[in-house]
Amino acid sequence: MQDYEVEFVERGDREARFLVRDITPAFANGIRRAMIADVPTFSVDELRVVENSSVMFDEQIGLRLGLVPLTTPVDEFEVGDTVTLSLDVQGPGREESTETVTAYSGDIVTSDPMVEPADENIPIIDLKPGQRLELEADAVLDRGREHAKHQGGVAVGYRHLQRVEVVGEKGEFEDDEPHILRGVIEEQEAAHASAGSGGEPRNGELVPTEAFDHDLTNRYPGKDLEVVDVPNAFVFHVETDGSLSVDELVTRAVDSLRGRAEELRDAVQL
Amino acid sequence: MMVPVRCFTCGNVVGEHWEEFKTRAKEGDEDPETVLDELGVERHCCRRMLVSHKDLVDIVAPYQ
Repeated sequence: MQDYEVEFVERGDREARFLVRDITPAFANGIRRAMIADVPTFSVDELRVVENSSVMFDEQIGLRLGLVPLTTPVDEFEVGDTVTLSLDVQGPGREESTETVTAYSGDIVTSDPMVEPADENIPIIDLKPGQRLELEADAVLDRGREHAKHQGGVAVGYRHLQRVEVVGEKGEFEDDEPHILRGVIEEQEAAHASAGSGGEPRNGELVPTEAFDHDLTNRYPGKDLEVVDVPNAFVFHVETDGSLSVDELVTRAVDSLRGRAEELRDAVQL
Repeated sequence: MMVPVRCFTCGNVVGEHWEEFKTRAKEGDEDPETVLDELGVERHCCRRMLVSHKDLVDIVAPYQ
């Protein structure tokens, strides 16, 4: 088994950026696709509506509940398992002065504390006096390729790592047009003396382009630059909807890839 | 009618930010741009979900 070098540029619970070196573009794309389509998450799939006198149809409520991210514990459930949730909210009574009561995702009661709404403040439906919503819902563990609501990753993508090299000085009368670049750059030691704003560039230092407002002329004023893609180095940007942490999402995506590779090896073995 | 739970384009959960965005930017006098930045709604696909939304429940409710 080959080891890969992984370096984090930003790391949070729901959003992260990391650099992976020495992987092929095909493998990078495989990881991306596995994160989107192959990591199962819980999502409401079926409703048993007891009472719905709100302004929305049962199906519309069902769609909204399906999109609410639910926390998914690792290795506790199998694909196809269900967890029952319930929601019971009533519109304002006569004595209350408010005009509407809103049912939030936080009002959902779960039968299993491991599976609960990841965000509490998502409005499901506004209820007027006399209106009521009472239902039971089955959340199913399934994969993103079955339905987009089961995707754990949001806007998952990658870019080449880019290397910026200073090749010379800009001519005195050259246009000072902005040089826009997005992603993460790797700086070179040769640029050391020439840095404009921000920290001093060290060899191989990774700088997200936000640091200089995506404009290379801010970081290297008056320099003639050459930007090249670093071969086989990819910067992943991963965001999750809250059902899993970034760490869980990435490791489970890689595990699913490995699982399928091993299955293939076993299947073709003589 | 109600604010969409997720962004149509990227699938990010935007519904949870609606009420704060409404009180601060739509009803309040803060700049929508800074409010969205502070809420962490970064991409323009997610931003348009909140900027262009109008609650219609109050308008529809009498015709039940």
